[in-house]
Amino acid sequence: MKSFLAALAFAAIAAFCVSSVLDTIQQASSVAYTTSGARVGDPGNNLIGSN
Amino acid sequence: MPSSLSNLRALCAAIALLFAFAHPAAAQLSFKPTAEAVQEDKLLNALKEGDKITGRISIPDSMASSLIQPAGRDWRDFHRSKLPIIGGVAILGMFLLLAIFLMVRGRIRVDHGFSGTKLLRFASFERFTHWLTASCFVVLALSGLNISFGRVLILPLFGAEAFATMSGYAKIAHDYLAFPFMLGLVIMFLVWIKDNIPGKVDWQWIKQGGGILANGKHPPARRFNAGQKGIFWIVIIGGALMSVSGWFLLFPYLPANVTALQFWTVIHAVIAMLFIAAMLAHIYIGSVGMEGAFDAMGTGEVDLNWAKEHHSLWVEEEQAKGRAPSGSDTHAVPAE
Amino acid sequence: MARVKFLCDADRCIECNACVTACKNEHEVPWGINRRRVVTINDGKPGERSVSMACMHCTDAPCAAVCPVSCFYTTADGVVLHSKDLCIGCGYCFYACPFGAPQYPKVGNFGSRGKMDKCTYCAGGPEADSTPAEYAKYGANRLAEGKLPICAEMCSTKSLLAGDGAIIAEIYKERVMKRGYGSGMWGWKTAYADSPTG
Repeated sequence: MKSFLAALAFAAIAAFCVSSVLDTIQQASSVAYTTSGARVGDPGNNLIGSN
Repeated sequence: MPSSLSNLRALCAAIALLFAFAHPAAAQLSFKPTAEAVQEDKLLNALKEGDKITGRISIPDSMASSLIQPAGRDWRDFHRSKLPIIGGVAILGMFLLLAIFLMVRGRIRVDHGFSGTKLLRFASFERFTHWLTASCFVVLALSGLNISFGRVLILPLFGAEAFATMSGYAKIAHDYLAFPFMLGLVIMFLVWIKDNIPGKVDWQWIKQGGGILANGKHPPARRFNAGQKGIFWIVIIGGALMSVSGWFLLFPYLPANVTALQFWTVIHAVIAMLFIAAMLAHIYIGSVGMEGAFDAMGTGEVDLNWAKEHHSLWVEEEQAKGRAPSGSDTHAVPAE
Repeated sequence: MARVKFLCDADRCIECNACVTACKNEHEVPWGINRRRVVTINDGKPGERSVSMACMHCTDAPCAAVCPVSCFYTTADGVVLHSKDLCIGCGYCFYACPFGAPQYPKVGNFGSRGKMDKCTYCAGGPEADSTPAEYAKYGANRLAEGKLPICAEMCSTKSLLAGDGAIIAEIYKERVMKRGYGSGMWGWKTAYADSPTG
């Protein structure tokens, strides 16, 4: 029983850690698709929401 | 007088220009579109399987260069028509098979009854790894099946908003539990590979059908019998395929190509259906299907009689190492 | 009821991107989301053609067919719209769309791509017509005001046509007959297979 509960806890914690790590490499498309030639200010939140 | 003269000059110039343009030679552009110029029909017919019409764009997103990708139509057909059949046959078929097996064969009992003496089969770390992989698998399987079948089976029951909310969370669980699942696969592979190499004993076991259909038949087996080795390799290979295809779906900008992404979703979906069907059989035999089997992963300790019947060679190896009781006195409990 | 469509006359398109700019301005589309784009085939070679491409609002929309949460719907005019409240951002619509119309606000993992956005035929979304809430989620709703999509209105050469499918098909046919050539109604066979002439 203990190893089962430990496994569940580990899975949940690992998933949470992974989500935090992946969030840091997440990029808004306004950032990912900006070449060096473009000077893009705040593209605004219309259509995409604030988060 | 001067203004009207300049006006007249302007008018003459304009008329001269008109004549110039009217002249066929002068009107000849360096490139004049003709019927032979690029036509959509010709391009679509010239496309090979899965290919797309692409062009030059001014957008940094390279996927935008695809103008028309007809393969999307085939992908849609696969996901709405063929995949449900594959999944339905595999998963419902397995359920049916297991139900029939239970009815016909019944629960596989320990012929000599439980001895009361136990020996350690799986250490706590092995059980941890198994349950890590297994619990992630269950959530991954259910959330994945929700993507494929939820719209047809579950949405009508709960309505669009509730279903969409649940599916959103299911998708998040699916994405992030994939990582502990992959870790569990790697550990499982490292810990159990040495006991899962196929051998002569396995061939004998298979030839006798594992003793699974007849009462009293117990072909010898080592720590893992041929059926279990089959499950191990299904999990490792299937899991690896799911991991690779899933990785590209998790990070779609890696292939950055819609045709490649379509390919990986097909692999991911088909392997998933087969994988789930195989795991249903594994779950069955480890719980309802065979008495005494669950203890192996539950507490880690199995009954000696159970072990002698199903893994006789393993018991001998363990007894030789002093890790298992000899079992000569199966009913007496030592007073001291 | 009129069944509206898009038609880009590839022989007239000069790749000026006025349609793209108009769409971006009208709906305040953020950088990185490309509701409409111009693709140039055979760039620099004989037979160069430019096509303005966005959601074609297909008759049997593949995006709607594959969506796991069924967030798409087709209006009475034939416009294919979706609900960003139901969308889980899984990306299936992008795999199915022959024209690459679906766009996502984030580039990372499948899990957090954000809600899908695409050309709405300037017809907004499921929110109430012409409200700030609709504008913030789906952009301007010109159709509710009886206007046609701004991309076609702004096209400098009138290569991009929008409106009743039968009428724009007729316009294109007249052009082809008058000038003697035409490279095709790009995307019509794929998008409107069961109603090719309007």
